[in-house]
Amino acid sequence: MTNKTLIMPTAVSTAGSADMSTATVEEAAPVRGRVVKSKITRDLLTFLMVFGPGLIVMVADNDAGAVSTYSQAGAQYGTHLLWIVLLLLPVCYFIQEMVVRLGIATGKGHAAMIYQRFGKWWGLFSLVDLQLVNFLTLVTEFAAIDLALSKMGVDPRYGVPLAAACLIMLVLTGSYRRWERIVVFLCLLDFAWFWIAFQLGPPLGQIVKHALLPSLPAGGVTPELMFLVIAIVGTTIAPWQLFFQQSCIADKRLRFADLKWARLDTFLGACITITAAVCMMIAGAASLTHGFRFTDPAQMAADIGAFAGPVMRDLILLMMINAAVLGTTAISLSSAWAYGEVRGWPHSLQLPWREARGFYSLYLICVAAAAGIVLIPRAPLQLIILGVQVLAGVILPSAIVFLQLLLNDKELLGEYANKPWNNWVNWTIIVVLFILSLILAAQVSAPSLFPSAAGGPTT
Amino acid sequence: MGTPATPLDLETRNETRKDHFVVVHPLDDVLETKVDTEALGPMAMTRTVRLSLMSLRAYLILMVLMVVYHVVMLAR
Repeated sequence: MTNKTLIMPTAVSTAGSADMSTATVEEAAPVRGRVVKSKITRDLLTFLMVFGPGLIVMVADNDAGAVSTYSQAGAQYGTHLLWIVLLLLPVCYFIQEMVVRLGIATGKGHAAMIYQRFGKWWGLFSLVDLQLVNFLTLVTEFAAIDLALSKMGVDPRYGVPLAAACLIMLVLTGSYRRWERIVVFLCLLDFAWFWIAFQLGPPLGQIVKHALLPSLPAGGVTPELMFLVIAIVGTTIAPWQLFFQQSCIADKRLRFADLKWARLDTFLGACITITAAVCMMIAGAASLTHGFRFTDPAQMAADIGAFAGPVMRDLILLMMINAAVLGTTAISLSSAWAYGEVRGWPHSLQLPWREARGFYSLYLICVAAAAGIVLIPRAPLQLIILGVQVLAGVILPSAIVFLQLLLNDKELLGEYANKPWNNWVNWTIIVVLFILSLILAAQVSAPSLFPSAAGGPTT
Repeated sequence: MGTPATPLDLETRNETRKDHFVVVHPLDDVLETKVDTEALGPMAMTRTVRLSLMSLRAYLILMVLMVVYHVVMLAR
């Protein structure tokens, strides 16, 4: 590998990598590239350049709410529900893979696509619902930061505004690459969950058995168990993910030739996020083994600290903050991108503040307002969590239906449209998600219909 | 196919071209032509599309009814 940076005057896309002997040159437009000698190095370098949106969308999905849900599942049912999490790996990959194809083929975000192909009414409905559910989710992210900081002995009145300021600075650099590198680094910190699980986990045999062989915890199927299973599904496949990854791909300007690498990026991201979810469940199971009752993940960290030491407690709390930070930047960006696309504003992380004021202002307002609400004493957090659950139940199935219809739009996607087997898999997933979302929404909005269900689910 | 002299040639002129590849970051590459979505207009209302949107409307109405029920129960 010569690994030289060069400036190549060409107007023809090199589509990720090109054999130099076949490169055509039409006019002088500088294209920065790197020269490599072997095909393996070329493929590796191309992957590293394309890598990012898939990993970020998947790892950011393990946000504060997800940490809470998975650890609660572990704390209540031990490792019995691991197989459900594993089952969700192909589901989240298939859904996000459709987003990858749509993003690469159109170079536009999901909100813009719904607006253009389904008209103003559905476009506005999706946008308003997305903005609402995203904002409420952001409040829960900052609530988690507040909770974790308090447990670490840091005053949230300083810690929460500091976190918000860092999150705002993160996007204001005018460089997509800088934002992506920092966020990928934060995503890789998620590997700490593997160490936590390794330190706390039950015997490997038990984990493998419960991950591969579907089994039910003692007591069988109860409303509480159903509640938690639906919450696990709901937290693993979130509506903002569709909007975020497609906009991210459009902003990164991924090319048709990048499709296979973008798919690999998404698949690796799905594997990492599901494995991290398994680790969170194992951490919860460890607190159950030592006789602790789950209240929230910060308290769970404190409980684990009682038998595994303060380092472990602080590490879990830091991972909780990291999860919330990742969730916040991804969710806020999905809101800002979607709004910018629909309004026709400049909306790219590549643009400086003065050229994309509306886009950055929306991101800033989302982050600052969510952080501000958390700092209000006696803020109605329970009502906010309830709102997230109901609105997510509304938007997730609808966003996936639009996605599926768009992916069958041959006029739009041509050879990138769904194949018949894609449709069988995806319609099955959609029907199951519809049913689960409906049950979840019914449990949240009409709890009296489910008298024995204790407590609400965690998003 | 002939390739005019470029900085790339100057750096690699002593090496066999067939053995080299140029890898370009998507953000450094020239803009690729994508599907012109604006020219396509709204999606054609096929039977599947119409059925899907009708199901979605029914689902949303059901969800709204559940939320209204919840609000009524809370107000009691």
